[in-house]
Amino acid sequence: MLSEKSLEAIAFERSKYPPEESRSALLAALRIAQEEQGYLRDEVITYVANLLDLPPIQAFEVATFYTMYDLKPVGRHKFCVCGSVSCFLNGSDRMIRHLSERLGIGLGETTEDGLFTLQEVECLGACKDAPMLQLGDRYYENLTPESLDALIAELRGGSTDVR
Amino acid sequence: MPHIEIDGQSIEVAAGTTIMEAAESLGIYIPFFCYHPKLSVAANCRMCLVDVEKAPKPLPACATPVADGMKIATASRKAKMAQQGVLEFLLINHPLDCPICDQGGECPLQDITMGFANPHSHYQEEKRVVEDKDIGPLITTEMTRCIQCTRCVRFGQEIGGIKELGATGRGEHMAIGTYVAKAVQSELSGNMIDLCPVGALTSKPFRYKARSWELKHTPGICPHCSTGCNTDVQSLGKEVLRVLPRNHEAVNEQWICDKGRYAYTGLNAPDRVTQPLLRKADGEWAEVSWAEALEATLAGLEKLLARHGADKLAGLISGQSSNEELFLFQALLRGLGSPHLDHRLHQQDFRADAAMPLYPALNMTLEELEREPLIVLCHAFTRHQQPLTNHRLRKAVLNGGKVVSIDSIHQDFNFPVTQLVAEAGADSHLYQHLAEHFAHLHEAPQNDPLAVLARELAAADNPLILIGSALLHHPQAADLLAQVESIAELAGGRIGWLAEEANSAGAWLSGCVPQRGPGGHPLDAAGLPADAYWEAEMQGFILFGVEPGVDSMRGAEAVQRLANAEFVLSISHFAQEARQYADVILPMAAFAEGSGSYVNNEGRLQSFRAAVKLPGEARPGWKILRVLGDSLKLPDFQYSELSEVSAAWQHAVGDYGMDIPPFQAFPPIHAAQALPAGPLLRLGDWPIYQGDPLVRRAAPLHNPLRARMHPQQAHQSGIQGDVVEVSTAAGKVTLALELDTHIPLGCIWVPLGYSETAVLGAAYTPCSVVMAALPERQTKSLRAS
Repeated sequence: MLSEKSLEAIAFERSKYPPEESRSALLAALRIAQEEQGYLRDEVITYVANLLDLPPIQAFEVATFYTMYDLKPVGRHKFCVCGSVSCFLNGSDRMIRHLSERLGIGLGETTEDGLFTLQEVECLGACKDAPMLQLGDRYYENLTPESLDALIAELRGGSTDVR
Repeated sequence: MPHIEIDGQSIEVAAGTTIMEAAESLGIYIPFFCYHPKLSVAANCRMCLVDVEKAPKPLPACATPVADGMKIATASRKAKMAQQGVLEFLLINHPLDCPICDQGGECPLQDITMGFANPHSHYQEEKRVVEDKDIGPLITTEMTRCIQCTRCVRFGQEIGGIKELGATGRGEHMAIGTYVAKAVQSELSGNMIDLCPVGALTSKPFRYKARSWELKHTPGICPHCSTGCNTDVQSLGKEVLRVLPRNHEAVNEQWICDKGRYAYTGLNAPDRVTQPLLRKADGEWAEVSWAEALEATLAGLEKLLARHGADKLAGLISGQSSNEELFLFQALLRGLGSPHLDHRLHQQDFRADAAMPLYPALNMTLEELEREPLIVLCHAFTRHQQPLTNHRLRKAVLNGGKVVSIDSIHQDFNFPVTQLVAEAGADSHLYQHLAEHFAHLHEAPQNDPLAVLARELAAADNPLILIGSALLHHPQAADLLAQVESIAELAGGRIGWLAEEANSAGAWLSGCVPQRGPGGHPLDAAGLPADAYWEAEMQGFILFGVEPGVDSMRGAEAVQRLANAEFVLSISHFAQEARQYADVILPMAAFAEGSGSYVNNEGRLQSFRAAVKLPGEARPGWKILRVLGDSLKLPDFQYSELSEVSAAWQHAVGDYGMDIPPFQAFPPIHAAQALPAGPLLRLGDWPIYQGDPLVRRAAPLHNPLRARMHPQQAHQSGIQGDVVEVSTAAGKVTLALELDTHIPLGCIWVPLGYSETAVLGAAYTPCSVVMAALPERQTKSLRAS
């Protein structure tokens, strides 16, 4: 189900912990599986659980807890907008509404062209520059409707290196 | 040892004690939902917040260890505010559906709300709704009521041994459920209903049947295995509505298995007899009065004795019968002059009878079992045979002990077990090789699991070897017992028996075996054992609570013999099978309808009382036997009270030890009885929910009948579909097939205890298997399941 390379990476993560503590490697194993597959299908979660000798429900609990794991296909760019206290007080709900209107999708949905997914997440630890969102490996802070529009335009233009 | 003060009372407790435990020992009540003394501490409901001096915030009593000088207030303003706040939050999403909730009246959330909540809520918004999960025929879910205490999740992981339920999602979206919708597999799953502090998990068969406060509680003893779990039988009017565990720390702690919990649902099966039945001359059955039925019974027995003599009369009694019934049954048969009586219908090899111990005793208490460092299970799948004894074994493993299982197939244990599985039917070789390894302990290779076990047994101090019921069902039982005995001697270990039925121990003690009388006294003229009655062409039978067609090793043969016999009296709860061959059927009190006593696996004598009135004209088993004995003018049948029978039983059996001498030397068996060869070997045993007439009729527990075979073997035998025809010398049957790597190559597993498979005869016989199509009826029932 997973490539040799992913299996090796999971085995390496597994080797970091004592034999009876295989669940410690679960977070990393799910991440590796998601990086390869794009999202975590039920079968992939079960497969990863079996790799680590864990009951499937245990992997499922973890996969549903963290917003970083996707349980259904997502677009090429995933807007993870923080909705926790600091961002909320600084207008994160307005940012989400703005994105939702511009992209024509609600929370947890993906645009028809498969380009964008919108998601609300818990605190990402960048409170001093709230409101903020995460896109790929990057944080975008001090968001305004204008900066969001510029970001969408850049991404639509095909740029992968956006600031 | 820390000195602390709770609500002004001071106490000294051991270091590491939590505030909750300390308060409990002072008799101070602290409200809680998620805390449970048998489970790990989660501290996620926050209901037990208490005010600790110098602590800035209230602390959870269940998770806070005491410290010297701690001053705790459980009812100060700060503690009360915390409790009210927690309850207000818990009730935000809890529906106000108490009037239609089965938990109402026995609900901690209801009680604690009454006792501790602020009557006003600030919450105006909508409540959340959670989708219900279908987790099988035993448990109803109403997940909107869940307060996420995670007791059920922790139970699955920590007691049940299989993590099936989990908490998925996060924050407001957190919900309890299985991974993919499926029935929970644990045989202890019903305990989650008792643990659930709200109405999220309730009993499906009990749903909407009654309110808890209407029910009458009667202490009972579970009749379904030899653990002897204490139960609380709850009834309304004439109907048993549910069975719950009754706390008995030394036996079942506070659990019971699903078999004990739900078997009562079979009580109202359509073939329940409540009126004496008599087969008329034209072969039709007629409901008759007791006087008429007894007259016909006496006439039938007298005619039989006159024509064939007592030597052609045999008696079979269930191992679920009470001591009193067993005692009267043997007195009846022996009084009539017949030595042929037995309760061991599942067995086929009786060569070891003379060497058997007084009764199948564990030889220790269940609590001691938890502390055993090395246990070898000989053909014992305790998880399905004695679920709560299995729980003790599991605890032994969690305490650092080791359990090794020797068996004919791989079993699904719920704790780590080293399994040694015989090649197709070569069980005897496995034990023999193990014994041989003791001769050269240090030369054996490291990678041979048998050699490793021999070394561990030799090194262990007095290891425990437990003999399971499947060993006694084996056609080479006597050989295997002799081998196990010699292994125990070589290892310097002890032997314990896992008795099969609720009162197997009582049956041996009461003398319901052909070679021994009450108290285990050997008889001069031993009768024939159960399996021999069919070939011996017995002409008369007295059956007590058994259905030989499914309860005996060779069911089809048994039914045929019974049908050809001249007179068959069936004292029974159910009529379906007996109608095929009996002449008279006398209706007997079933589970919860009669009183009596059992001796459990430890040798513990436990009595139970009738919970409900008898249906129709049914009578307690002991009364039926007494009337029969009295009418037949046998001596010593003049009892009028059950207590008199109990006293007579007690007197005849005398004192028996909880610890019996481990083994009487088995006669050396020179020629081991070889198994006949064939293309494949048919293995089989009684599955968990097929072992007795009541549980077979419990619809919620029903398991579809399936043969099991290793996928590789199926491939080799050219089987592609999922339906096979299995034929033995005795007969053939078409069955659904499940591929299962637990079954060794060269074998097919076909369970016993189903009327469909009775035609195949005994287990461990050669058979052949071919592909087939399923008959219409079975296809339907499989689809429905």
